Amino acid sequence: MSEYQDFLHERDRIDFLLQKGYKITNVTENLSGAFVDFEKSGESNGEAPRETLHILNADARKYFSAMLMKQQKEEV
Amino acid sequence: MADLRINLAGIESPNPFWLASAPPTNSGYQVQRAFEAGWGGAVWKTLGDPILNVSSRFAAVNFNGQRVAGFNNIELITDRPLEVNLKEIYETKKRFPDHAIIASLMVEPNQAAWHEIVKRVEDVGVDGLELNFGCPHGMAERGMGSASGQVPELVEKQTYWVKEVAKTPVIVKLTPNITDITVTAESAVQGGADAVSMINTINSLAGVDLDTWNTIPHVAGKGAHGGYCGPAVKPIALNMVGECARNANINVPISGIGGISNWKDAVEYMLMGATGVQVCTAAMHHGFRIVEDMIEGLDTYLDEKGLASAMDLVGKSVPRYSDWGDLDLNYNIVARINNDICINCNKCHIACEDTAHQCIDMLKDGNGKDILQVREEDCVGCNLCSIVCPVDGAIEMVEVPNELPSMTWNERQAVLSSTLTSQAMKK
Repeated sequence: MSEYQDFLHERDRIDFLLQKGYKITNVTENLSGAFVDFEKSGESNGEAPRETLHILNADARKYFSAMLMKQQKEEV
Repeated sequence: MADLRINLAGIESPNPFWLASAPPTNSGYQVQRAFEAGWGGAVWKTLGDPILNVSSRFAAVNFNGQRVAGFNNIELITDRPLEVNLKEIYETKKRFPDHAIIASLMVEPNQAAWHEIVKRVEDVGVDGLELNFGCPHGMAERGMGSASGQVPELVEKQTYWVKEVAKTPVIVKLTPNITDITVTAESAVQGGADAVSMINTINSLAGVDLDTWNTIPHVAGKGAHGGYCGPAVKPIALNMVGECARNANINVPISGIGGISNWKDAVEYMLMGATGVQVCTAAMHHGFRIVEDMIEGLDTYLDEKGLASAMDLVGKSVPRYSDWGDLDLNYNIVARINNDICINCNKCHIACEDTAHQCIDMLKDGNGKDILQVREEDCVGCNLCSIVCPVDGAIEMVEVPNELPSMTWNERQAVLSSTLTSQAMKK
């Protein structure tokens, strides 16, 4: 698979969560890439659902960073 | 015709092209011939206690048919008594009053020694002084040149001593043989320098003879490191000029030196912050008359750009020179191959496949003709294919739109950091 296909695959996983109303709450970057925590707030009962994506592709790491910037601007 | 005159820290010159302190400015005969050819100024070969030279002094590095891509020398400062040089400086200045003569100076790190030479040199009418804190060979072993130029405290102190008595502008010439040239440039400014010049030569060994195993050059079978200059050092020097030009603490004019061979090189230096340039290797390779093309080329360029003065160029590219962390991570370019021009040598494919990102495919078009095609989605815009391509115009690097907004590394890290901070506060 090409790097671009890797990017598309990881971008889709990020978009899937964002479109379902998740927000990025934490990013841990290390030698293995980036672990991006998502949380869906506003659920009426129980604990807010959480997901973590392991993002390896460089362009996908740019992508979630841009989405995080956008998210922060919307929160202001 | 544009106004080519420059004013570097009060030193006026009919054009930005000066000969650097080096063999071309060893004598009045040479400097006068240079002025006749059109050079705007000359930095006289370094004055100090007359030295003794060795025989076999220069060596050049040729690359792929390009002679003198780099130039190495182990010659020292002037070997002539100060009085001889001063007499010739006086005569030259009298004959060419509108041309700039700057005296390069090097003495031991001693206040009295600096005071003496400054006074004696200024008495004959030089337009400025250049302190040689850069020569990397021979003199450095005696505690002068780059040996003192690598110690910020010595740069500041000696500049200060010179400024105590100098009546003309003082330029401090810096060595590139140091991790961060802005440190010594700042020291020069702290010492009162009116300008800085860079770069002096880079520590070098031109080569080793495969038959005799002698170094190149060698003196009776022994070699010693020399100073490297010429076209090969231009990118190194240009960066150092740019780093100093964008440093707010180095708020003095810069005289650019390093591999300047034509008017285009000079313009690059001026755009990157140099008020004028100094040339050595190109003059040694081709003679003084290269300045004719330099003057004509600069004049034409200024006219084409609609600029009235050469001084209008100074520093125009400096705001565009930044830190890596301030570059836009979401700016994208890709390679496009024009198969009407491409000669199908496959160099781009080989370079990309072996050493870059494997995104140039060897295909056949509808007529069965071999073509090369870039998979743009996999191209990272590294430029390698266009660099190795032997045919102008066959590969073009084009900007492609990105749906993502501009985002620098520094901005990204700030956002990630604030996310972590806000999470910690919630917990």
